[in-house]
Amino acid sequence: MMTSPTQHDADIIVVGAGPAGSCAAIAAARAGKSVILIERGPFPGSKNMYGGVVYPRILDELVPSWWETMPVQRWVVKRSTMLLSDSGALNIDFRANSWGAPPYNGATAYRPDFDNWLANHAVEAGARLVCSTTVTGLLRDSNGRIQGVSTDRPDGDLHAPIVIACDGVNSFLAKQSGLYPHTDASNFTLGVKETLALPKHVIDERFGVRDNLGVDIEILGGTSGVNGGGFIYTNLDTIALGVVLKLPKLAAQQKRPEQIIAELKRHPAIAPLIEGAEVKEYSAHVIPEAGLDMMPTMVADGMLVAGDAAAMCLAAGIWLEGVNFAMASGMYAGQAAAEAIAKNDVSSRGLSGYTDRLEKSFVLRDHRKLRKVPHLVLSDRVQHKYPAFVAGVVERVFRVDNPHPKPGVRRIVREERKKAGIGLLDLLRDGWTGMRGFG
Amino acid sequence: MTITVCIKWVLPNRDGDERFAGISLADQAAVETGLSVAEALNDTCTVVTVGPPAAEASLRDALACGAHDVVRIDGSADTDSAETARLLAEHCVHSRFIVCGDYSADRGSGSVPALIAARLERGQALGLIDVRIVGESLSVVRRLDGGRREKLSIVGPAVISVEGSVARLRRASLRATLAAGEAHINVITNDGSGALRRNPETVPPRPYRPRARVVPSPSGSSALDRVRQITDTSSSKGHGETVVLSPEDAASRILESLRAWGYLADSAT
Ligand SMILES: Cc1cc2nc3c(=O)[nH]c(=O)nc-3n(C[C@H](O)[C@H](O)[C@H](O)COP(=O)(O)OP(=O)(O)OC[C@H]3O[C@@H](n4cnc5c(N)ncnc54)[C@H](O)[C@@H]3O)c2cc1C
Repeated sequence: MMTSPTQHDADIIVVGAGPAGSCAAIAAARAGKSVILIERGPFPGSKNMYGGVVYPRILDELVPSWWETMPVQRWVVKRSTMLLSDSGALNIDFRANSWGAPPYNGATAYRPDFDNWLANHAVEAGARLVCSTTVTGLLRDSNGRIQGVSTDRPDGDLHAPIVIACDGVNSFLAKQSGLYPHTDASNFTLGVKETLALPKHVIDERFGVRDNLGVDIEILGGTSGVNGGGFIYTNLDTIALGVVLKLPKLAAQQKRPEQIIAELKRHPAIAPLIEGAEVKEYSAHVIPEAGLDMMPTMVADGMLVAGDAAAMCLAAGIWLEGVNFAMASGMYAGQAAAEAIAKNDVSSRGLSGYTDRLEKSFVLRDHRKLRKVPHLVLSDRVQHKYPAFVAGVVERVFRVDNPHPKPGVRRIVREERKKAGIGLLDLLRDGWTGMRGFG
Repeated sequence: MTITVCIKWVLPNRDGDERFAGISLADQAAVETGLSVAEALNDTCTVVTVGPPAAEASLRDALACGAHDVVRIDGSADTDSAETARLLAEHCVHSRFIVCGDYSADRGSGSVPALIAARLERGQALGLIDVRIVGESLSVVRRLDGGRREKLSIVGPAVISVEGSVARLRRASLRATLAAGEAHINVITNDGSGALRRNPETVPPRPYRPRARVVPSPSGSSALDRVRQITDTSSSKGHGETVVLSPEDAASRILESLRAWGYLADSAT
């Protein structure tokens, strides 16, 4: 499939200036291709929300020394996993002070700042950014080949041989092009978040950090019986606290997400962390949770799909990483698109460099390795039985019950397992799946 | 002769973050009015602002909507009204109609159009709530005090200012938006002779900070009566007053009242 450059407004149209779109635009523009980056918000990031931590290592390739200019709230030096039962909590902390210095590991950042910063790099690379413009459909020629996009502006059709859809979760472009075979609500979770303001010194004291160092806490349990998880991230003078809820369970239990957040905030292990905080913002967004099992076909003639639009977010219990997967897939899409234009072959074969890159990189390798983990983490046993079981075991191990002697740990485990209603076989099976899944 | 629209680009309070900067709804209505009048009278429409380079974003928006030309007169975003009017007036000398917004996004007093009219010795009709083009002239409605309206027919040259409700700015086409992103913007810088200066006789501008009005506790017998007392707009409880005074005395009285209501610093004269 050849391109006919004379009728085109650009070589490549990128839809959506989120992390995937901006990285696609940077990569393609750096390769000398003309790129138009279309964003529906008034500026990149204005419409976007997430929990709050980015792991920008992949940016080493696109924005060397990114940490010198990136709009960071805090550098994450402490990662915790919190297992919540009704009134107890087991906390596993890890601290690495080396993550607080170049080349860093992860950082909390506000999306309107981060996305805008990344999009500016695309503009500097030569991409033309058009904001406040919503893409409303794909343009096709008489043979059905994708030729560009239509937008909600007057005279709003744009023609290009390649469209890269980076329009986020539930991508209607990917659906319109037939790349998503079906959409199943059970593949999605709903993420809701409150941004809570507290003075910086209070956050420093409560979370044991100082200066611009911060904490990432992932929570299992504490979601009022709806399968899901939670998170707490520290910004300079706000805290992001949220829950991620499995959609069918949420609907079945008829609970309101804000009610679940309110209950989480009242949990004895959480309440002291946020006491006195003022709610600054409440936001919600859908997350593609099922990873590899829900990914669409990512390449069509004249079209690539990247980031959340291709369900690349990794949501696997202790990991909630979407931005780095979006940036990497966007970058690979931009590179592959530029390559296809150079070869004058924008068919799916000409664009196959995209899937090759995804396969060789962490993007699909991590998803393959952790394929079973999202199901495991969101399963009823892990969600409803294990937190109480683990908290029960730990509570009894540390309880001093004199004059009785300390019971053996094996006995405690057996008794607590029975109390929680977990069969031995199920425990072994889940343990095995977990071991294999987490590698 | 051309139609000139004057707009003010304003940085919001949020740490002066340019992502949230822009022009007021009234200025947007002014741009739309200017464009419509120019189209109807077969004229050209020029949009002018006094502001820093970042203000060019709003000029590009105007270009994308169809302005024939845009001009940025280099100046800081907080140049005072008299100086802004002086700079703008210089570039409006040959305009048939000069169209301004009735207020800026930082809640200015709307004095710039009046000052431009005074400098150019033009007729003025400010605070318009309706503008229609009838042949070569404009048929307009002006808001007066006490809910009254004034209907005027304006033949240029004249200065008008419009409220935000007069017109909704058209949505720029995609192609024009792309072209405007790369268009050249005319920038006029001060050559030194017109250095910005503040008139020592004027009251220094302060942020818009209306005083809270003290409302006495309601005294009705039922809860409904008490709620009505606080919220009912039909009962007259404003502090409006009609006085007949000489111009000098009237000016002093206005200043006195403004000071009493907290709009002027005590030292300001
Ligand atoms: C509650 C929650 C917490 C999360 N926490 C984290 C976290 O802590 N760390 C992490 O790495 N990831 C996290 N994620 C996941 C992460 O937000 C996403 O994976 C990531 O944003 C995907 O980037 P993207 O560029 O693919 O899509 P998006 O960020 O969704 O960007 C899509 C862009 O396309 C634009 N757009 C959409 N449709 C159109 C259209 N028709 N026309 C024009 N523009 C359009 C949108 O305005 C937007 O700018 C979280 C997600 C949620 C919901």
